[in-house]
Amino acid sequence: MANNSLSSTDALIANAPVCRPHELKRLPGDLAMWFFILAELTVFAIFFIGFAIAENLNLVMFAEGKTQLHKVAGLINTIALITSSYFVAISLHAMRAGNNQQAVIRLGLALMFASVYIVLKLWEYQALFAQGIDIETNTFFTLYFLITAFHFMHILLGMVILAYMAKNAYQGKYNDPRSENEFSGFESGACYWHMVDLLWIILFPLIYVI
Amino acid sequence: MIKAWQRFALSWGWLILLTLASVAIGQYFQSSPFSALGFIAMIMLIIAMKGQQIIDVFMELKHAPRLWRNIMLAYVVVVPFIITLIYL
Repeated sequence: MANNSLSSTDALIANAPVCRPHELKRLPGDLAMWFFILAELTVFAIFFIGFAIAENLNLVMFAEGKTQLHKVAGLINTIALITSSYFVAISLHAMRAGNNQQAVIRLGLALMFASVYIVLKLWEYQALFAQGIDIETNTFFTLYFLITAFHFMHILLGMVILAYMAKNAYQGKYNDPRSENEFSGFESGACYWHMVDLLWIILFPLIYVI
Repeated sequence: MIKAWQRFALSWGWLILLTLASVAIGQYFQSSPFSALGFIAMIMLIIAMKGQQIIDVFMELKHAPRLWRNIMLAYVVVVPFIITLIYL
């Protein structure tokens, strides 16, 4: 009787569907970070739609304003942010593989490309100020400075987060097997950085290209 | 089977290609008689394609709960769509 019961349990286990860890549907990072990301995206959506409405009402002014912008600088910044995002993504991959040193190096490269963005954006602002253009010049430049400076602040915050992640990875703080999700903090920071990249991907064509 | 780093590298290459395409389209349409709406719609389509790559590959939402992936994908579709409507 006992043997029969054991064999039926064994049969149940043998026939149970296999659920591998990578097949589980899981939200990377903390849920709170995702609500924060949604809030940020909503604020920027209002900015983007507001910019498009203002442009539709002032077509000539916006067309003239866009000719004053440095398109190549905008393009280089886009490439720098996409590349930075790529390094953050593969850095998380290295963390999961248990290679902390590689993760730190990749985060360093991500920060280096983010610095390219910072330097170029400051150069763009400086070039506009040198022409006597500032936030009060007209509606186009008011919106240009408001939206890009707000995004610039997000980049700065993101860089602080990336540096903090690199410090923790270097000290091996993400490798605590007792933790329920040992990489949650790393994933949250990475997703924040990808959100900043996502926003620039809408911002760049809207302000510089169209 | 494609390795994780190859997937990220492919996605990076695709994003760079789409970025260059959007700038090239912008340059071409500046001196072309084609309709501005068609040009804007093309740029917005590229935004949606780039957004999908970042959301599914870099943010790793392809294997996340469907609700969160759909919310994020809706953002990169709805916002460019509204912008296109504004320029109509």
